[in-house]
Amino acid sequence: MRILTVFSIIMIVFSSCSNNKSGDISVTIADQYGLAYAPLQILKEKKLIEEQIPGIKINWVKLGNTAAIREAVLGGKVDIGFMGIPPFLIGWDKGMEWKIFTGLSKAQIGLVTWREDLNTLNDFGPADRIALPQPGSIQHILLSMAAEKYLGESDVFDNQLVTMKHPDGMSALLSKRDVAAHFTSPPYIMMELSEPDMKLVVDGKEAMGSDFTFIAGMVTNKFSSKHPDVLSLIRKSISMAGEFIMKKPEEAVAILKNDYSIPEETLFSYLTEGGLEYSHEVEGLPKFINFMKTEGYLEKNPESMDEIFIEQDNK
Amino acid sequence: MKYLLNRIINRTLERFMWIGLLILIWISAVWIGSFSPLVLPSPYQVFMSLLKGFSEGILGKQILISIALVFTGMSIGTLIAFAFLFLAVSSRMGESFVTTLTAIFHPLAGIALLPVVILWFGTGALSIIFIIIHSVIWPMVTNLLMGYRSIPETYKIVGRNYQLSSFKMFFKITLPGSFPYILAGLKISWARAWRALISAEMIFGAVFSSGGIGWFIFSKRVFMDTPGMFAGIVVVIVIGVLIEDLVFGVIENRTVRRWGMSV
Repeated sequence: MRILTVFSIIMIVFSSCSNNKSGDISVTIADQYGLAYAPLQILKEKKLIEEQIPGIKINWVKLGNTAAIREAVLGGKVDIGFMGIPPFLIGWDKGMEWKIFTGLSKAQIGLVTWREDLNTLNDFGPADRIALPQPGSIQHILLSMAAEKYLGESDVFDNQLVTMKHPDGMSALLSKRDVAAHFTSPPYIMMELSEPDMKLVVDGKEAMGSDFTFIAGMVTNKFSSKHPDVLSLIRKSISMAGEFIMKKPEEAVAILKNDYSIPEETLFSYLTEGGLEYSHEVEGLPKFINFMKTEGYLEKNPESMDEIFIEQDNK
Repeated sequence: MKYLLNRIINRTLERFMWIGLLILIWISAVWIGSFSPLVLPSPYQVFMSLLKGFSEGILGKQILISIALVFTGMSIGTLIAFAFLFLAVSSRMGESFVTTLTAIFHPLAGIALLPVVILWFGTGALSIIFIIIHSVIWPMVTNLLMGYRSIPETYKIVGRNYQLSSFKMFFKITLPGSFPYILAGLKISWARAWRALISAEMIFGAVFSSGGIGWFIFSKRVFMDTPGMFAGIVVVIVIGVLIEDLVFGVIENRTVRRWGMSV
C-alpha cells in the first residue's frame, strides 16, 4: 500500500514536470543578497517580466555565493544568474557556455577597517587579515588591482584572506578582533562606515581607475539561442526596474523595505546618496579581462566581445 | 607475528580491490556519460591535478598543517574527556553533571557553533582547534563512560582487595579494562575531528599562511578547477583511510585483538 502511494506521488511529480515543459516558457533566475540586486526585487514584486511576457513561469532562487550560482548553471538548474564580472569570466575561461546579457548595477565597494594604524594598503602587515566573500570574487580582484597599483604585487594579500559572507564579515569587523579589514559592498559598506572608528582604505573605483559594473546578468547560451526575444524583454524589464528605483526612490523603498531589515529613511538615503546606480550598460569588462589575464586568473582571452557579451538590440 | 602480518597484507589487498572497483565505475561513468570535465573529471585529470598540487609545493604543506591541527585538537580533546571521566566516576553529582553536558553538547554540530566561535576566538588556528576539541570530547566521554561501566565488578573487587591506590586502580584496572571502548571512542573522535577540520578550514580560509586541505578544496572550487577539487577530496579520503587502517588497525591488532576482547 505504501509503495503504491510513493509510486503515485512520483507519477504526479513527473507528469506535472512534463506539463510545464510542453506549455509556457519557464526560466530560472538566480541572484544574491544585497542592494546591488534591488532591481530584481522590484521586478519580482511588480511582476514586470510577467507583464511583458504573459504566461511565462519564473522561478527565483537566492543563492549564498557566486560559486553556488555557477555550479547551479553548470548543472542545468539555472538559466540566468547575477554576479560580479570576475567570477563570470572565471567560469567562461573554464569552458562554461554563457554570456553577459545585461548590466545591473554600479556601486561603491571597498575596503573598510577599524584599525587606526591602517590608512593605506602599505600599512597592512602579513598578519592583518582581510575578510571578503571568496577568492576570485569581484572584491578579491579589486583588492588585487589595488595591491598591484600601490604595492606593485597583486597577490600580496592572498595568504591573509578570510572568506566570509558579507553579514558575517561585517560582524567580524565590528567586533574589532582579528579581522583587520573587510572588502564589502552595499548596504554593508554603508552600515560599516556609519559606525564610529570605521574608515575606507581604498575603493573599487580607485583600484580600477574608472567606473565599472558591479553586478551583471549572465545567461546560458542554450537559453539565449532558444529564446532571444524573451531575453531582450527580460533585459528591458530590468532596465525599467532600475529606472523606477532611480526616479521614484520613495515608492521603491516601500517595496524594498520588506526584504532588507533596514529602517526606511536609512534605506532611502542609501539608494539616493550611496553611489548606487542601476543601469543595463556594462562597463569595465575589457579592464577586468586584461588584469585577470595578466595576473593568471584567466588562461585565455576572448577573441571578440561576442564570445562573452550579447549586444543590446535597441528594440 | 606472521599471522599479524598476513592479516594486514590481506586487508590491504582487499582495500585495493574495492578501491580499484570504485575507480573502474568512475572511469566508466566518465566514459558513458561524456560529462564536461567541469562536472565530472576523469581519474587521470584528477591524478594530474594532484601531481601539480604537490609539485607546486603547497599541497604537502597544507596536508601537514591539517594533520597538525587535528592532532593538537584530538590530544587536548582526549585529555579533557579523561578529566570528565574522572569527574563522572568519582561522585554521583559528577556523573549527572557530565552526562547532562554530553546530552547538551553532543548533538550540537561544530559548524553550528561557528558564528559564536568567530566572535570569541576570531578566525585563526585557535578557532579551528576549538571546533575539533568540541567534536572530539563528547563521543569520547560517552565511550569512556560506557567502557568504565563495562568493566566486570570482579576486576574492581580484585583491585580493591589488593588495596590499589586510585591512581594504580586507574592504570591497572580501568584503562586496560575499558580499552576496547577507548579505542572505539578514539576512532569515532578521529572521524568527527577530521570532518570538522575540513569544514572549518573551508569556512575560515587560510591559517598559517597556506591553509590546510579544506582550504585547498575551497580555493579550487572558487576558481572552478573541478579536477583540483576532486584531487583535494581524494587526499581527504586517502588520509582518512590511512589513519583508519594503519594507525588504528595496528593498535587494534596489538592490543584488544591480542587480548581477545574486541567489541
